[in-house]
Amino acid sequence: MDLTPLAAGLAIGLGALGPGIGLGLGVSKAMEALGRNPEASGAIFVPYVLGIALTEAIGIYALVIGLLILFV
Amino acid sequence: MPHFATEESLVHVAIAAEELFHIGPFVVTNSMVGVLIATVLLLSAAIWVSRNASTVPSRLQGILEFPVEFMANIVRSQSGDRWRAVLPLILTIFLLVLIANWVGLLPGVGTISINYTDAEGHTAAHPLIRPASADLNFTLALAVIAFVGFVTWGIRANGLGGYLKETFVANPAYMTPIMTPIHIVSEFSRLISLSMRLFGNVFAGEVLLAVMLALTFAVIPAIFLGLELVFGFVQALVFALLTMTYITLAMAGHGGGHDEEHDAPHHDADDAGLSENYAAAGSNRP
Repeated sequence: MDLTPLAAGLAIGLGALGPGIGLGLGVSKAMEALGRNPEASGAIFVPYVLGIALTEAIGIYALVIGLLILFV
Repeated sequence: MPHFATEESLVHVAIAAEELFHIGPFVVTNSMVGVLIATVLLLSAAIWVSRNASTVPSRLQGILEFPVEFMANIVRSQSGDRWRAVLPLILTIFLLVLIANWVGLLPGVGTISINYTDAEGHTAAHPLIRPASADLNFTLALAVIAFVGFVTWGIRANGLGGYLKETFVANPAYMTPIMTPIHIVSEFSRLISLSMRLFGNVFAGEVLLAVMLALTFAVIPAIFLGLELVFGFVQALVFALLTMTYITLAMAGHGGGHDEEHDAPHHDADDAGLSENYAAAGSNRP
């Protein structure tokens, strides 16, 4: 019985847990900051996008590992 | 020879770009067609603007100027005095990645195929066009350009000696044996994370679209097309902004290894440099 697809599914599934929580925290804090100070949206935007990108990269690593398990 | 999709699985997923034909030893893959389309679109837009630009912009000129102004404003507010010199690289990366991502959403991309016969005589249908960012070669090449960019800017701003000192000598000198490998690894991990992030996002988007087209019907795939439109923009922006931040950090000094793994004095200096820029961006607001 070939367990490779199960391994790939687990890799991306478990790997998406952490970034999911992290993205939620990041976005919620950014929205809070916007709610307190709507004029600061320009100053918040770039650090927000960078933080989101760095958080999301972890999920992408999991995706790459999943693809490696499936195809390589 | 006709190609029957029923013999394979429902969704056609190829992790590497597929070959279309050979010109001598040079292999032309379908992602090259994708990036060629993006390049032609960008070049024709650039030629049109350079011929027809006027002080009072027409509607088309306004549309074409919008992304340029958008990126110019961000770079001006973030990367200090030399933003004019940094802007062309950032803007080029942003526009190319943006258009290359959006080419993948055009009708016919990934669905129009041509027959390809390989050296052993097997014939298979290969999609004619593949979005360039779904090929790791393209994203890695862009990341290498960005890497050369921020190393060059670091050397130009701090001198070769200054740059090497930043990278290879830690702040308390006795920490050097521990910190230097971490610095080097973190420099190169930027290369990997930049390229993998873009590749992973766009490739996963393509697979998502293919799965949704195969499993659902009517308007449901259109929702995901709309999502991919947003993701394509966000990923182009992220790639450009990360390149800009790396260049800014390299120019500001203390550029080597600003990531989480390093000693406290460096960290403080980096944060001070960044927050000054952010404060400058926000200070003209009421």
